[in-house]
Amino acid sequence: MSEISLNNVCKSFGGVQVIDGISLDIESGELVVFLGPSGSGKSTLLRMIAGLETIDEGELTIGGKRSEHLAPGQRDVAMVFQNYALYPHMSVRENMAFGLKNIRMPKDEIERRVNDAARILEMDALLDRRPAQLSGGQRQRVAIGRAIVKEPAAFLFDEPLSNLDAALRVRTRVELAELHQRMQSTMIYVTHDQTEAMTLADRIIILNDCQIEQIGTPMDVYLYPNSRFVAGFVGSPGMNFLQAELSGTAGKQQAKLGDGSQIELSVDLGPGAYELGIRPEAVRVSATPAATTGTATVVERLGERTLVHLRLEDGTELIAQDGGHSEVKPGDLVHLTFDTSQLHLFDDKGRAHHAK
Amino acid sequence: MTPTTIKRINWVGGIFTVFTVICAILWAFPIYWGIISSIKPEDEVIRPYIELWPETLTFEHYWFALTETQIGTWYINSIVTAVGVTVLTVSTSLFAGYAISQLRFPGRTALWWLILASFMVPTQVLIVNHFVLMADLKMLNSWAGIILPQLIHPVIIIVYKQFFDQVPKDFREAAAMDNASEWDILFKIYIPMNWGVTTALSIVIFIWAWNAFLWPFLAVTKTEMMTITVGITQVFDAFGVYYARQLSAAVLAGFPVALAYLLFQRRVTQAITLSAGIKG
Ligand SMILES: Nc1ncnc2c1ncn2[C@@H]1O[C@H](COP(=O)(O)OP(=O)(O)OP(=O)(O)O)[C@@H](O)[C@H]1O
Ligand SMILES: [Mg+2]
Repeated sequence: MSEISLNNVCKSFGGVQVIDGISLDIESGELVVFLGPSGSGKSTLLRMIAGLETIDEGELTIGGKRSEHLAPGQRDVAMVFQNYALYPHMSVRENMAFGLKNIRMPKDEIERRVNDAARILEMDALLDRRPAQLSGGQRQRVAIGRAIVKEPAAFLFDEPLSNLDAALRVRTRVELAELHQRMQSTMIYVTHDQTEAMTLADRIIILNDCQIEQIGTPMDVYLYPNSRFVAGFVGSPGMNFLQAELSGTAGKQQAKLGDGSQIELSVDLGPGAYELGIRPEAVRVSATPAATTGTATVVERLGERTLVHLRLEDGTELIAQDGGHSEVKPGDLVHLTFDTSQLHLFDDKGRAHHAK
Repeated sequence: MTPTTIKRINWVGGIFTVFTVICAILWAFPIYWGIISSIKPEDEVIRPYIELWPETLTFEHYWFALTETQIGTWYINSIVTAVGVTVLTVSTSLFAGYAISQLRFPGRTALWWLILASFMVPTQVLIVNHFVLMADLKMLNSWAGIILPQLIHPVIIIVYKQFFDQVPKDFREAAAMDNASEWDILFKIYIPMNWGVTTALSIVIFIWAWNAFLWPFLAVTKTEMMTITVGITQVFDAFGVYYARQLSAAVLAGFPVALAYLLFQRRVTQAITLSAGIKG
């Protein structure tokens, strides 16, 4: 059964239509990530689910209950804010209990839930501190604790890690994944960081310009992007894009690159000019003459692998991947092979066609 | 840093120190003069030259003020009216400031401009109207008559609105997710987050109300309803005005305020830094 479902919801701000008819189903226990660049409507969509923004049109169902007209507190969802929004004058315990007191929950039940949450998040020792006496990571936990005690149908996170430093972000990300495993609760997580999305999500919903570009598992989205936008947004380093001229008949086609080299491939497309996309790991450095050659400009050694930034003869820039012990040096002329099963062609509307 | 620049900085600092000391003396001298005059015998007070220390020390004027006047009643009147003005002004301004800052209702902007405009009108301009109004309501010579016209302090509303405006909207949203009512949001979040403002404003209003003279002077004619500031004018007997006696009454009148400020001074500063910290 789907826990949260949006049916054709719309939202405008002062006459400007921002969200125009989005429909979406989120399954119970699923961790869904809204991924998109700044201004793509992730927060707005999340806040519409939370009740912090009104829904102008359309339906919202949470836990089987029509919710678009309910007040935020009555929707059975809990939200973790980007800046945590912990009440500064209350202790950690009071912060977590506040929402429960407001619905007149019995004292011993509140006590139990707060203590349980503190144990889950390993912050028993912090309960009597004020937010000002906590580190950024601890505040983050309190914010999550404040959501957990409500035992909601779904958790909503709006960029919860963006205020943490890089190391802590990675650690907290893992902790969040663990927490989700343990609690098996429905979560919606907003981020513009594709690594976070890839590592956490059961399903990623990619938003662009307040439209859903693609919905899929992280690997789906990574391997079979729907569009030029998704292909460019997901993955780090990003996909290489090259101009290509497609010729030949279905089953045996050639894509001619700007430097004159030819790649054999098979794709359901007629001849014409397309943009060719290929991820760095599908471009390999070869010891023997191969598809084409390029001059290395920058060599990034990442330990287990090496990224080689190249310039083809016609000036096209490209990133290739080599092993950790790569011997390529800047200025070297290197041979390149393309893994033709990982090629994507994008037509002039930005739609993707995957090579077979 | 070269030795010359150090010297120059010390110079500037020195001049500044001298300047502040002079200002402090200018400011404090009348108070000092009032206090020592109140412990001089009357004939020393009226001597035409300046004596910085009394020849003979006497507390007879204080004794007179405390025993021969109704100073006890005046104290009570002052306390009741000053506390009344403080509590009522703070609580009404709090609600008004919150409503204008946080709620959306028709006429909100108009109301805000009205309050800003009334800020420009000095209360003295209205004093005749107030007098007629209070007379019509038969409230002259009563605590209510002293308190009501002193409740007009648009600036307090403005300060509250400004502070509530600065509370990040995340807190309001978090509270909404926490099922808090508008009432809860005001009393459990906005006010506690701005305790510093409330403390500071309360002390300031209390001091204003305690020191108020013009209105209580007009509103009260009966000696037993006077506040202490007005009461001072009554410290005379059949032989006329004794300066030292009046000064001793004035010192007694100012004493509680001075004490209150000394006691709360640290709290006020602390409270203000605290509420500034919340915003950081
Ligand atoms: N209160 C508002 N009034 C007017 N326009 C708004 C409002 N909130 C959001 N918008 C508009 O809606 C669009 C989506 O904004 P939203 O905040 O949802 O983006 P986002 O994906 O969360 O971006 P970010 O990653 O920067 O947080 C933007 O074009 C923004 O300008
Ligand atoms: Mg956002």
